[in-house]
Amino acid sequence: MLENLFVGIADWLRSLLGGLGTPGEINEAIVMLAKLVAILVFILVNALWLVYMERKVAAYMQARIGPNRVGPKGLLQTTADIGKLISKEIVIPKKADVVVFLLAPVLIFVPTLMVFAVIPFGKNMAAIDMNIGVFYLLAIASLSTLFFWMGGWASNSKYSLIGSMRVVAQMVSYELPLVLGLLGVVMIVGSLKMSDIIAAQEHTWFIFTQPIAFLIYFIAAVAETNRTPFDLVEGESEIIAGPYTEYGGMAFAMFFLAEYANIMVICAMATIMFLGGWHAPFGLDFIPSWVWFFLKMYILIFIVMQFRWTYPRIRVDQLMGFGWKVLVPLALANIFITGIGMKIYQAIGW
Amino acid sequence: MLRTQEYFLNFGPQHPSTHGVFQIILTLDGERIVKAEPVCGYLHRGIEKLAESRTYTQVIPYTDRMDYLAAMLQNLGYVQAVEKMMGIEVPERAEYLRVISGELSRLTSHVLATGVYALDIGGFTGFLLCFREREKMMDLLEELTGSRMTLSYARIGGVADDAPEGWLDKLDKLMDEMPGYIEEYNGLITGNEIFQARTKFVGQLKPETAVNYSLSGPVLRASGVNYDLRKAKPYGIYDRFDFEVPLGENGDCFDRFYCRVLEMEQSVKIIKQAIEQIKEVDGPVMAKVPKVLKPPKGEVYHEIETSKGIIGYYVVSDGSNKPYRVHVRRPSFINLGYLDEMLKGYLIADVVAILGSIDIVLGEVDC
Amino acid sequence: MFGKGLIKGLQITWKEFWAQKLTVQYPDEQHPVPERFHGRFILDVDKCIACSLCANACPNKVITIKKQKVGKKQFMTDYIMNIQYCLFCGLCVESCNKDALHFSQDFNMNQYFYRDLPLVLVQREAPAEPVDEEAPAAKAGDDKKAKAKPKPKAKTDKPAEPAADSEVAAGKAPDKEGQ
Repeated sequence: MLENLFVGIADWLRSLLGGLGTPGEINEAIVMLAKLVAILVFILVNALWLVYMERKVAAYMQARIGPNRVGPKGLLQTTADIGKLISKEIVIPKKADVVVFLLAPVLIFVPTLMVFAVIPFGKNMAAIDMNIGVFYLLAIASLSTLFFWMGGWASNSKYSLIGSMRVVAQMVSYELPLVLGLLGVVMIVGSLKMSDIIAAQEHTWFIFTQPIAFLIYFIAAVAETNRTPFDLVEGESEIIAGPYTEYGGMAFAMFFLAEYANIMVICAMATIMFLGGWHAPFGLDFIPSWVWFFLKMYILIFIVMQFRWTYPRIRVDQLMGFGWKVLVPLALANIFITGIGMKIYQAIGW
Repeated sequence: MLRTQEYFLNFGPQHPSTHGVFQIILTLDGERIVKAEPVCGYLHRGIEKLAESRTYTQVIPYTDRMDYLAAMLQNLGYVQAVEKMMGIEVPERAEYLRVISGELSRLTSHVLATGVYALDIGGFTGFLLCFREREKMMDLLEELTGSRMTLSYARIGGVADDAPEGWLDKLDKLMDEMPGYIEEYNGLITGNEIFQARTKFVGQLKPETAVNYSLSGPVLRASGVNYDLRKAKPYGIYDRFDFEVPLGENGDCFDRFYCRVLEMEQSVKIIKQAIEQIKEVDGPVMAKVPKVLKPPKGEVYHEIETSKGIIGYYVVSDGSNKPYRVHVRRPSFINLGYLDEMLKGYLIADVVAILGSIDIVLGEVDC
Repeated sequence: MFGKGLIKGLQITWKEFWAQKLTVQYPDEQHPVPERFHGRFILDVDKCIACSLCANACPNKVITIKKQKVGKKQFMTDYIMNIQYCLFCGLCVESCNKDALHFSQDFNMNQYFYRDLPLVLVQREAPAEPVDEEAPAAKAGDDKKAKAKPKPKAKTDKPAEPAADSEVAAGKAPDKEGQ
């Protein structure tokens, strides 16, 4: 029952529409729209919840108790914050490029939302199961660099400029190890389709067969989302807030929420590629698949948050050096070893 | 070849990691610093001038406002200068209380410096965990003096008040716990590889340069120069305590930071000894001093070791009840003297690391 | 081995995650205020002889005392502290020979309007003609005092003695010299 909760809702909607006598294509389109809206709402609510979670995790690691005034246990704190931020004026700097300046926070959510269309949240629970799912995800996710850059450039402030230069340098150079890390998994599966990748992990998660790839992917992904120890982009003790320096009110909040949505993307991706997606470990099948998916995702998110509240920030030259001199060669070596391993396995005839 | 251009960046006065209202005008080539021009004075309040229209006792609260992180040590320097001028003998118990509260002040300052340095490098948790212990120490200082930061505890001829009942035991207990906390800082901050990568061999300072620029405190000792006034020219009763002067090797940011951590351990050691010894000392905490202080004509220079370095008070008396001139050699200000040279060739991120490792307090820099 | 420090750091934050939390949720609970806390001032009008020692001991000239001659005696009509300039150093309390001025543990001195900031400890009319007994005057003072400070007096006696022994060098600058 719980297992098929969301699939059941979709089927119910489909049958309901079928009863109305409208053409089948339109019905499918409406179901698809409903799915997308559901995902959209889910992401936004989740981003709010993640902000709350981060504040709580941070507080608990710092001998504090965190937000606990607004709503039960402070759960409505972020909602209240967003309410406040919406009511604030968006100050536009005098010499800013107004159109680009305002466009950047609007567009920053677009790639993130597009990416979620292909993520399978549970058994048969992907909005679209594309046959180039991984490729699509990587291609779209890296678009967000552009919007950070737009915001930083249009602000016409030196701190923003430095910050957005860092965004471009960091995201472009960490995109490479990220993709190369995932390549090992794709090679083993032989498909870019998410459902195939998850199906291949029914017995063994790829974190066990590809541990180095997981490590590379995870580090690169943390860097992709500008989280500590790779948060040079914001680097509040150096360049105030990087590209967001000149933003206030809801424009800032959009960047802020997009960061959390991005964390969700990379953690969901890691779950799909390395942690068996919605597969239950140890045969604990009675818990619904989507619960497993979210459990794995939130554990990864917690680890990302713990990184942030433990590690200091690395320097820009060290960041580049680490990316190009350590991660990329390591990822290439991993691909090489995976290739040889696959050939050997085929030769033995597994 | 692309035509590139250097540009200016106003680093401060409103910047989260200049530790106040300090400004550095940076000339940058990309992220690399070509030239750095420190600008101070945004927090100038004219304390030296204000002192000229106050009586000798009334100057004490103003000295608090210089290095407000280790206020007792500022008090102590001034008070000892005036005592030196007037030849006042301070009662034994007062001396011990001065050492205890002074070292506790030094601890609060060093704990803050440790935490803030972690924050400068980007680790937020280290900052708040350091504040946790700092709060405990400030609670103790508050119990002793009534204030948390601007203590005004020292008086000419002694201290304001004796320690309350049970205070020394509480302090002893905290000092027993301190090594555990310091270990936690070491695990979270010092031992972290990213932290070390950020700070090691950054902003190196040769011992000769440090001496030539008259730097003092942990900044000097991190370069390997063994000069701590508490050991070199013991003032008060510091010759009665057994402690070491931690030294650095490379004179880089990491050594400057780590010197402070090691000094915290030594301060704990001194306080523990002082608590042992004060139990056998009884008596007043104020010497017999006249109500109106009129030091003889003349001048005196007295320097002590604060958490930031050597603070020197130069007091001139014209025989009246107000000092003719009070000049303060502020360690934070003088330690900044080599900053512009030190920053050259480093990245923006290193500016924060180097400035943080000097551990300045703007109240003292601008006075 | 590289990475040992990184793992140690994670261990510490993980341990702290479950450790006791130290937040004091201020309006609901209060951090204990020590006895010697430098808070709002309390003046024991009966003890005060309007000698102006405290006003002279103050480094910032916070205290304003107005006196009026009633008969042979000096009668204090105003004792006002411009608390916005106060350093809370405690020199005035120490300088008091009669043990009349105290700190209380009340740290909440916010005012909505700037004009309400000065701390009025005494403000009263001088009696028109000399009275033999102090009683009516003191009573009037008490009333006014109660009006000025809504909070009841926390405690009157000073915790520690030595400072009150007036050995202290504080204050008593000659009156003429540019006060």
